[in-house]
Amino acid sequence: MDNATIEKIIKEIEHYEPKEKVEHTGRVVSVGDGVVAIDGLSMAVMSEIVEFEETTGKSLKDAMDTEGSLYGLLLNLEEDGVRAAILGDTARVSEGMTVKSTGRILSVPSGEELLGRVVNALGEQIDGKGPFKKTTMMPVERQASGVIERKSVSVPLATGIKAIDSMIPIGRGQRELIIGDRATGKTTVAIDTIINQRYEPEESRPICIYVAIGQKESKTARIVQQLKDAGAFGYTIIVDAPASAPAALQFLAPYSGVAIGEYFMDKGRDVLIVYDDLSKQAVAYRELSLLLRRPPGREAYPGDIFYLHSRLLERAACLSDAKGGGSITALPIIETQDGDVSAYIPTNVISITDGQIFLDASLFNKGVRPAIDVGLSVSRVGSAAQTKAMKSVAGTLKLELAQFRELEAFMQFAQDLDKATADRIESGRRMVEILKQKNGSPIPVERQVAVLYAAIQKLFGGVSIERVREAESKLLDFLDAKYPQVLDDIKEIGALSDELKKTLGKAFDSFKSAHKELFN
Amino acid sequence: MEQAYAMALWKVIENGKEPKTAVAALRSALKERGRAALLPRIGRAFERFAAREHTKNVLKISLSNMNDSRAHKEAVSALSKLNVSGTDIEVRSDDLLIGGWRVEGKGYLLDASFKKHLLSIYNRTTQS
Repeated sequence: MDNATIEKIIKEIEHYEPKEKVEHTGRVVSVGDGVVAIDGLSMAVMSEIVEFEETTGKSLKDAMDTEGSLYGLLLNLEEDGVRAAILGDTARVSEGMTVKSTGRILSVPSGEELLGRVVNALGEQIDGKGPFKKTTMMPVERQASGVIERKSVSVPLATGIKAIDSMIPIGRGQRELIIGDRATGKTTVAIDTIINQRYEPEESRPICIYVAIGQKESKTARIVQQLKDAGAFGYTIIVDAPASAPAALQFLAPYSGVAIGEYFMDKGRDVLIVYDDLSKQAVAYRELSLLLRRPPGREAYPGDIFYLHSRLLERAACLSDAKGGGSITALPIIETQDGDVSAYIPTNVISITDGQIFLDASLFNKGVRPAIDVGLSVSRVGSAAQTKAMKSVAGTLKLELAQFRELEAFMQFAQDLDKATADRIESGRRMVEILKQKNGSPIPVERQVAVLYAAIQKLFGGVSIERVREAESKLLDFLDAKYPQVLDDIKEIGALSDELKKTLGKAFDSFKSAHKELFN
Repeated sequence: MEQAYAMALWKVIENGKEPKTAVAALRSALKERGRAALLPRIGRAFERFAAREHTKNVLKISLSNMNDSRAHKEAVSALSKLNVSGTDIEVRSDDLLIGGWRVEGKGYLLDASFKKHLLSIYNRTTQS
C-alpha cells in the first residue's frame, strides 16, 4: 500500500463520524429471473430504489470483496410485500436476505462530463475511462413538460439525408419514428443524423444520445467506432443496455437516456435522442410484467404498454423561451415483422409520434438506399421548421416522385408509352438515383438544396441513369471549386432568391460544358 | 396451493382455534376432496410461514461479545428509537460484527457494529 493511500485512510478515519440511522427493511421471500418478492418494506414508495444487504453473515474481508452495492427497483406494491426488479446480477440475491429502503427514486447522473462516454442504464460508466466527478442527478421518471411550458416546433433538425430533409423534414422537439423490417437501414438513418450534427455550429449543435436497447455489444462497439471516426463522438452519449443485460435494465435504458437529455434541455440546449429500439424495450417490459404477475393483455403485453411508450416520448419537447428554449428531439426505432406496420407495438408508437420514416425491405433489396418509402412516410410538424430554400425544391420533388411511382406501376402492364409519360418515368428514375445516399455520408442542407434544384431543373436529364450519382458528386465538387459563394449564400440566407437561382442556372450551364463526357 | 392452505391454517389458529382441532379439520376437508397428499407440503409451507411470522415479530440484538455490557445497554436504549414495545427480544452473539451491536427486526435495522463502520471507511477510501 503506498503512502498516499495510507494518508487517505488516516484522513477518512479522522473525519469519520459514526451515524446510527434507523433503516426500514424487508426480507427476500423469493427470487428468480431478475425479479424478487420482498416481505415487509411497508413504507416503500413506487419506483423507489432498494439496497440488498449483502454483508450480513459475511466476514469483513468477504464484505470488502463484495463487488459494489446491489440495488433493486420497486415495481409492485402489494398487500403484504413488494416486488422489485434486480438492477444487476440476480445470482447475488438469496432468499432471506435483508433489503433496505433507500428513500430515493431512481436517478442517473448527467452533465457535460458524460459527453463522449458510454454508460449503462443506471448511468454508470462502462467504457473504462473512470468515474464521473461532477454530475447532476436527474430522476429517471419525470412528468413531461406541460402545454404552457412548450412552444411549436420551428427550428429544423437536419439529418443530412436528402430524402428526409426534403420530403419528411424533422424539427427540433419533434418525435419522428423510424420504422421498418430488420436490416433495412433504420440504425443507419439514426447514426447518419447524429453524424450530420457536426456541420452545425458548436453553440447550436444538439447533444446526441444514442440508447441501445437489447442490441448486440458488437453492434454498439461498431457504432461507437463509426461515431469516433466521423468526429461525432465528442458530442454524443451512448446509453447501452445490451441483449445480455437483465430485462429491467433494458426497460429502464430509454428513461435513463431521456433523463440525461433533460439535464441539457433544462439548460436551454437542444438534444437529439435515438431509441434503438423500442420494440425490444416493449419485449423486455412484457417479460418483466409477466414475472411481476401482472395480468397479460394482447400478445401477452401488459395493459400499460401504451403508457410505457407515451410517457417516454412525451418527454421530447420544444420548450418555450421562458423555460430556456431547449428541446429534445426523439427518433424512436421500431422493428416490424414482414413489413407489418399494423401490429400492436408499431401502431401504438405511430399514434404517439409526430410522423414516421418507413423503410421498405423491397426498396432496400432493389438497391434504393436509404430505403425510404416516401408514400408511407410522413412528418406532421417538421414542414413548419423546413428552410425556405428546401421548401422551394421539395414541393416539385414530392410531386414528381408521386407521379413516377404511379406511372411505374402502370408501366408494368403498358407496352407503348407516349413521349410525355416516358419522359416523366425517365425523370423519376433520375430523381430516385439522386435520393440514393451512401451509408455514413450525410450532406449539409445547402449542398442538398443545390443538388435537388439541379434535379428539378432537369440538369441530369441528359445523363445516363448509371452515371447520375457520379454527375451529382462532380457537380458538388464543381460548385465547391467554382461557385463556393452560392453554397454559402444558401446556408446563410436559407432561401433560394431569384438571384441565387440565376447564379445556380449559370453554374449548371458551365458544369455542363465542363463535363461534356457525362451528357449524351 | 399449499401456501394458501398454510395461510388459512395460520389464520384459523390465530383466531383462537385449537391447533390440533384446526389440523384435524383441515385433514378431513382434504380427505373429502381427495387431496390428502397435499398435507406434507402444507406442513412444510406452514413451517416456512411460521418462521417468517416469527422473524416479523421478533427483535434481534446481535452483540459481538455477549459480555460487552456497554454495547448491550446501548442497543437496548436504541430500541426506544424504533418506537416498539412489548415485543420478543432475542439477544445473540455474532463475532462477525467485530465490535458494537446491531438491532434487526419488525422491519427496522439499526447497525452500530464496527464491521459496518470499517466497511464504510473502506468504501469511502476506495470509491473516492
